[in-house]
Amino acid sequence: MILQRSRPPLLETPMSVFDQSVFTPNDQFFVRWHWADIPTSVDATTFRINVHGHVVRPLSVSLTELLAMPRVQMAAVNQCSGNSRGLFQPRVPGAQWAHGAMGNAMWMGVSLRHLLDVAGVRPGALAVRFGALDQPVVAGAPDFSKSLALDHARDGEVMVAFAMNGEQLPLLNGFPVRLIVPGWFSTYWVKMLNDIEVLDKPDDGYWMAKAYKIPDTPMANVSPTDKDYPTVPINRMVPRSWITSIAGDHPVAWQPTLPIGGIAMGGDTGVSRVDLSSDGGRTWRPAQLGPDQGPYSFRRFDGVVPIRGRGAIPLMTRCTSTAGVVQPMTPNWNPGGFMRGCVETTTVTFG
Amino acid sequence: MSKSRTPLSTGMSILLAGGLTSVILIGAIAGGNEPRGRKMVVPPVVPAAPVAPPPSFVSASGFTLTSASIELPDEASSFPDGPGADVVNANCTSCHSASMALTQPRLTEAQWHSTVVKMRETYGAPIAVGDIDAIVDYLRAMPSQATPAGAAAGLAVNEGDGATG
Repeated sequence: MILQRSRPPLLETPMSVFDQSVFTPNDQFFVRWHWADIPTSVDATTFRINVHGHVVRPLSVSLTELLAMPRVQMAAVNQCSGNSRGLFQPRVPGAQWAHGAMGNAMWMGVSLRHLLDVAGVRPGALAVRFGALDQPVVAGAPDFSKSLALDHARDGEVMVAFAMNGEQLPLLNGFPVRLIVPGWFSTYWVKMLNDIEVLDKPDDGYWMAKAYKIPDTPMANVSPTDKDYPTVPINRMVPRSWITSIAGDHPVAWQPTLPIGGIAMGGDTGVSRVDLSSDGGRTWRPAQLGPDQGPYSFRRFDGVVPIRGRGAIPLMTRCTSTAGVVQPMTPNWNPGGFMRGCVETTTVTFG
Repeated sequence: MSKSRTPLSTGMSILLAGGLTSVILIGAIAGGNEPRGRKMVVPPVVPAAPVAPPPSFVSASGFTLTSASIELPDEASSFPDGPGADVVNANCTSCHSASMALTQPRLTEAQWHSTVVKMRETYGAPIAVGDIDAIVDYLRAMPSQATPAGAAAGLAVNEGDGATG
């Protein structure tokens, strides 16, 4: 792991990990916390999830009760809103992640819809807010919470997960339960989830109204000199792809062709195709896709590209989602460093 | 990339991999090269040191959740010496490691000012208004801010930019 900050912890997954499997091992899964006051111990026997607010029957759900509820399982990529922020030009403040603020796991848990149905959502409900055990260090600072529109929260895919790749979640990844919001950025995947509040009015809290806002433009893209554009809370992810088989960090002997492989994601839907280029994006050839683990998972790709000469060769991958969205060549930019989605280049020097 | 990256310490890797500290009891082995015929001294039986009880757990429908704990490393989190270091240490490190500031790319004075104001007004940092400029000056003077590949001049600064995600 790459330590970006120890307090509160920011841990980045090295790209080489993603070459091993489309599923990211629990002990190498990226970690990001907002506040330093994280419980360092959680008692499984006393933990409760409170479901309250605009409901018929407020609940206090023990983990034993949660484990006994109907289960759902799904592979899904958890990606930080600011993944790849360190590559923004001009540079922007915030955690200077490369591409490793993401991971993919097989999540198992209980559908949020089931919990909400047991509680009985009352007419007039608009949104569901999620709170957790972590607390601000400073009194009066905004406690971390996020919310989803009621229809989204009840779509049957949003999950209260207690298992990650078949095991309980590591504490730093949110033990005992975290919210899984397939296709949406990680800011909504609340860790150590212990509070589910049904709201009958929009969530005007800091973490929805002020933080994690993106320009309301295609690809959340603005010019560095733009001001006063409309913004919206960050939401769906976009297609991305990365070469993981070669890092370009040292020269390799020239060869007429090079096998390259990596991982792709469709964003809020599946991967339709991945194309490869070794000539700066002038020509592309399709890669072969690996097994389909579901629309929200990473998908492996492999292919071979021609290496036309010696020297520095830009290798590129371009994902097309099943919705037909294609990664653009030009990087998007916004002052938060959010939602990077362009074609990435790995430059390899052939000697 | 010019970013500074520190490999995670072995200790933290182990913590992350294991999560729980296991206690290993090494029993003393009596005997050895005792001269023949000499009475072996048998040490008195010492009660075993108290062993932490196994962590509690809950289980249902074939899945078990075991209470978890972790020790987080206590990073030396003070800022390097320099003019204003005392006020920076007093106002910033209760919430985050110095590394958060030390790993930032070169930012404009307006960006640093906006960041410090955000820490004060939004995140509750106990910064006196009169100390804002001293903190901004310190942050701009950090060696990591001297690298030429910096923020563009004329960058618009918007409230709420950066620092999340």
